[in-house]
Amino acid sequence: MSSNRFTPRGFPRVPLQNGIGRYICQLKRITLRFCKSSGSSRGIRDFIETDLINFAQDHPGTALYLKPRRHKSPSFVAEYLNGEREVISCHNFTAQQTIKWLNLYTTRSGIPLMRYAKMWHTECPSIQGVWSPFTNKDPALNITQFPSEMLSKPVWEEKSATEELIEMINKQKISDENDDNTQKVQAAQL
Amino acid sequence: MSQLGRVKQWNTFARCWHLFDAAWQNPLECAPSIEKYLKGLNKPIYHPLVDCGDHVVVINSKQIAFPGEEWRRRVYFHHTGYSGGATWTPAWELHDRDPTMIFRKAVYHHMKGNLFRRVVMERLHIYSDSNVPEEVIENITNQIPPLRSIPKTLGSYSKEEIEKYPKIIDYPEDFILSKN
Repeated sequence: MSSNRFTPRGFPRVPLQNGIGRYICQLKRITLRFCKSSGSSRGIRDFIETDLINFAQDHPGTALYLKPRRHKSPSFVAEYLNGEREVISCHNFTAQQTIKWLNLYTTRSGIPLMRYAKMWHTECPSIQGVWSPFTNKDPALNITQFPSEMLSKPVWEEKSATEELIEMINKQKISDENDDNTQKVQAAQL
Repeated sequence: MSQLGRVKQWNTFARCWHLFDAAWQNPLECAPSIEKYLKGLNKPIYHPLVDCGDHVVVINSKQIAFPGEEWRRRVYFHHTGYSGGATWTPAWELHDRDPTMIFRKAVYHHMKGNLFRRVVMERLHIYSDSNVPEEVIENITNQIPPLRSIPKTLGSYSKEEIEKYPKIIDYPEDFILSKN
């Protein structure tokens, strides 16, 4: 099981950037081992009768071998391009179950099961560089004399009633001036 | 580790010094923002087990402000451990004895009680006024913005500002606003 603490720990990886641009099936050889007479091989024999040809046609990159063995439990061996070899018991499998497990082992990369430390991995952790306390800081801070009056103001503050009153008066003054000006212009036009 | 990588590591975990002006600030309100810098919670590299906290220098702690009746109502409890050794000191009395104590206690009590609390508190330097030793002030690279602005007192207005100020009525000549 991949959650076991004794399984090796690692990051997701892929052989030779497989799947980027082109995909190469990493399964190079499958050997179906079964018995011609025993009941436990019934499902795998059904699979050979019905779906084996289709399976072989769908996976032209995989060599498929049939290996009848008398009075032995059925199994299949999956061998990968990286040299890994896995044996899967097909005891009492139905034909459907055999297809399911074959599909699983054809789509695998052959890298042994591992406990993922993270679900992602990158060879290039950061392009802009590692963060430091001085990144994105205003360089003016380097020559600022502390305590600085500029920085000793709150980031945001609600306007006081006095400030609002002063603002209203200033606005009124401006509008009065504008009115005067327009009146003058109208008088000149007349 | 390469030489450059080593220097990058030092740069990332460089300890910074922040300045905080406590004049007219409520220490209970300031404690969360001070704690953030002391523990390094403002950094993207933060992890509870990584020692990435910064130093905070608090000045003018004598001029802290409490709202309402707080100076009289807030009481600091201490027990010597002996029977009858309990004392309750009002905030104003404690502030008279040590002007840095209320601010220190506010930050200390805001933090969660664990083994790191006293270590983190060692990085908090509180001064009752703005006289900070030269070896401390030269380290400072940043100033923490205060939560409230310092209100302008009546005495600090210049004559020009008073004359310029919009007024509703003209006071009679024998009406005395202030001595100067």
